[in-house]
Amino acid sequence: MSKPTDLVQGTLDLLLLKILALEPLNGFAISQRLKQVSGDILQVSDGSLYPALHKLEQEGWISAEWKATPNNRRAKFYSLTRLGRRHLEKEAENWGRLSTAISRVVKLKEA
Amino acid sequence: MWPEHWIYTIPLRLRSLFRRREADQELDEELRYHVECKTEEHITRGMTLQEARRAAMLEIGGVEKRKEECRDTRHVNWIQDLLQDVRYALRMLRKSPGFTAVTVLTLALGIGANTAIFSLTYAVILKSLPVPNPDELVRYSFSESGVSDLSISGPAYDALRKHETVDQDILAWSGAHLTVRENGNVTDVRGALITGNGFRVLELVPYIGRTFGEQDDAPGGGPNGDQALLGFSYWKQHFDGRKTALGQALSINGRSVRVVGVLPPDFDGLIAPQQADIVLPLSFEEIINTPTPERHGPPGDNWLTVIGRLKPGESLESARANLQATEKIVREEADPSHRFMGGLQFHVESGGSGRSFLRADYSQPLLILEVLVGLLLLLCCANAALLMLARVTGRFREFAVRGALGASRGRLLRQMLTEVGILAACGLGLGIWLGWAAARSLVSMLGTIGEPPALDVTPQTPILAFAAGATLVSVIVAGLWPALRASRIDPALDLKRSEAVSSFSSNRLGTWIVPAQVALSITLLSSAVLLGGTFIHLLLEHSGFRPDGVTITTVDLSSVNPTPKQAGRDVRDIAKALKAAPGVEASTILSGLPIDGDWTASHYFSLGKHGAVHTDMQTWVEPASPAYFEVMGTRILEGRGFTRADQNGARVCVLSLSAAAYFFPNEDAVGRFVYSGGEDPQKDGQDLDPRNACRVVGVSEDARFLSFREAPPRVLYNLATGDDLGTQASFAVRSSSARLAAEAIRNAVRRQVPGVPDPEIFTFNELIENHLEKERMLMSLSVSFGCVALLLVALGLYGVLARSVTLRTKEIGLRLALGARPRDVVMQVIRRGLHLVIVGAIVGVPVALASMRLLKGLLFGINPDNPVAFAMVVLLVFVVVVGVSCIPAWRSTKVDPMVALRHE
Repeated sequence: MSKPTDLVQGTLDLLLLKILALEPLNGFAISQRLKQVSGDILQVSDGSLYPALHKLEQEGWISAEWKATPNNRRAKFYSLTRLGRRHLEKEAENWGRLSTAISRVVKLKEA
Repeated sequence: MWPEHWIYTIPLRLRSLFRRREADQELDEELRYHVECKTEEHITRGMTLQEARRAAMLEIGGVEKRKEECRDTRHVNWIQDLLQDVRYALRMLRKSPGFTAVTVLTLALGIGANTAIFSLTYAVILKSLPVPNPDELVRYSFSESGVSDLSISGPAYDALRKHETVDQDILAWSGAHLTVRENGNVTDVRGALITGNGFRVLELVPYIGRTFGEQDDAPGGGPNGDQALLGFSYWKQHFDGRKTALGQALSINGRSVRVVGVLPPDFDGLIAPQQADIVLPLSFEEIINTPTPERHGPPGDNWLTVIGRLKPGESLESARANLQATEKIVREEADPSHRFMGGLQFHVESGGSGRSFLRADYSQPLLILEVLVGLLLLLCCANAALLMLARVTGRFREFAVRGALGASRGRLLRQMLTEVGILAACGLGLGIWLGWAAARSLVSMLGTIGEPPALDVTPQTPILAFAAGATLVSVIVAGLWPALRASRIDPALDLKRSEAVSSFSSNRLGTWIVPAQVALSITLLSSAVLLGGTFIHLLLEHSGFRPDGVTITTVDLSSVNPTPKQAGRDVRDIAKALKAAPGVEASTILSGLPIDGDWTASHYFSLGKHGAVHTDMQTWVEPASPAYFEVMGTRILEGRGFTRADQNGARVCVLSLSAAAYFFPNEDAVGRFVYSGGEDPQKDGQDLDPRNACRVVGVSEDARFLSFREAPPRVLYNLATGDDLGTQASFAVRSSSARLAAEAIRNAVRRQVPGVPDPEIFTFNELIENHLEKERMLMSLSVSFGCVALLLVALGLYGVLARSVTLRTKEIGLRLALGARPRDVVMQVIRRGLHLVIVGAIVGVPVALASMRLLKGLLFGINPDNPVAFAMVVLLVFVVVVGVSCIPAWRSTKVDPMVALRHE
């Protein structure tokens, strides 16, 4: 299982932004969701999750709000901003090009 | 993209900055929530509550650390951190006031001393004239047998101006005493005279109004009458800085002079430290004194300061070459009879800083002091470093804990540097203020008589820059190493390590610094002893006078414009009035102030028993009233002084001891004759004219008319008539009370010569003090700096020994428990102190010996190799050291063995 901490920081940002594009979530729920949709392959370590979220908040790509959870507890919910959505589109495009290129190289027939 | 980006982020950042606690609480809550959720998850998987909690905590890996990382993502962190560091540093410094005070004081002393010396050096040596391109200016001067920087005569100036080719033009300047009559009050004003082309040469622009030009520099005033410019501070004081001053008429020395302009604020004149309050054209001199046939005075009268501005492309070297080339013809024109310029030599040097009577005297000693004080600063920094290092090692536990809590090394370093920075900033502020105050008090010491010198020692930009630079160096030297040491603390290691080991390095540094401080103190104190001894020797030197109880005054008669005969009458009237005044024991006329240095050489010769002719071209002639010897205290060794009867008879004189020995080497001088010589010394002894003869009636002891340092001149005293004294007449009064004497003088002057400004009155002792002001100032400086150095030694040594006792508490406790006598423990501490000082002394004494040689030119009556001086200094240092060592030594005996053995 490769952990996202092995990937470039930008990739983690991309994943987090995409998760939040689906629906606003708090930190714990984000890591659960990521694990879920990637089939347990991508797991964010707790230590890198929150600094990354705070950085995204500082950059203005996500915004935060304190809301009540289904269990009636208070938690900080993050959601994607319009700026963030645009950044997400751009990064997703970049990632597409990058992964295609890598696949092409890896699939080269060995002599 | 940009504006939208900022809309989101600015509120966030402002919030981070201003509502920090709230943001922190939220962060805490957020992470706590996460840990709770994780814990629940683990519980559902089957762990117990405790295990689940522990697993959750492990996964997040240290809540505080994560919080710090989250905080780090906020970009305004550095401002926050700085503020936090400053607050924390202030708190820590407040908790140890002793350390803070000592460190700030140490730094302030070093910086203050340097600021003071540098301010003085700048004001005396370096400051340029406030004119455009001062480096284009050159100054011409005379020198004679070793005495340099002498004024130039009028004819020499004229000839120079006519023949030299490197300057655009040259000006002549002289100081002047002016008498200003305003609303019935007559005041003495310090002024100056300048040639008409002067302001053009200087390229000086007046503050308001205009300057005068060449057409105004004519005998009797120019086409527009007599004109003058006012000095800026004089204008502010006397005219309230109002523009209506322009065009007003002042009565100066009896002439009506119109004010045409005001000089710029920082222009005090061309001769430091004299301040020119009113500037007039040079031709005004003939109104102050009597007119002479030559335009600018006779060839023998050297009174002008001459400055020129070089043509573009010329340099000081080309000016020197040009002077050499034209010197011959200039001498021919200036002194056709070859009587006056024989021993004089021409010089040209850079004139950008004008002329300074102080520069020649003080340049060398100031530079020496600068070096020593610079070393002092270095040691101050070293001392401060010691203190800070000791403090760091005392707090290493704190740093270790903070490191464990997640503080980065950079953060710790930054915090230590903030503390150091605050200490340095306080030291800088205090140091500059101290230095400025010290410089001002030193300058005020330079003027006991008359006006204090106009030396501006307020911190100028170069001085402030220098002080700031010195502080920066101090911060780096003193603070960097301790700060690095603090940041290098490894939590795991240092929390367990005992204090003793980690403090070792600070003490090792101390064992190097204290001996260095001792060596420097020995050097500074030796210079203090030598310079102080010089001053005392000069004071005690037998001057040939008895100054106690003597009051001296100079009366300026020029404002009533007397003819020479009237002047003579006025002088005699004042002398008579003084004699009869209450409280006056005796009074005499003086031809000039004693120990003033101003003298005219006269030509006399004697005819010995066997026809031997002894010629003296350097006889000092001193006109004296009959009471002269009683007033001045010069003893008569053979024969007698003057009596009233002598005034009606043939000419008589009294010779000083050295004059008598010179004129009559192997015989009794009393009863013989000396003759005043003519123009040609070769003709002495032939064609004796009885009108030139005077009979020697007595021999007096030698008196130091020139200076305390030089050998007394050969003096011939004759009877003063009051004539031929010019318009400046001096009197000396002996009385039991200086107050009565001053009153008598003022009354005599007011009654006999009304309309004359109040005369300058001072005691003979004040005159002597004035003469010795340089020695006194140097003594004060060196003693102060020596004491500061000794104080630093005491502080540094105390620090080292105290630390040593604290480190070895365990060892000392053990020894005491095992039965060692308290005395042995004390001796151990004292021995440590002595050991450091001995090392310092071994280095210091040779260094001091070598550097004292540099002071040779300043000393009098004391040899730079004087062993007694060094012995005294070393003894003083030892006494101080032993004294200081006693405190930690005494503390070491108070160590309770049981406590010490458990002390970690």
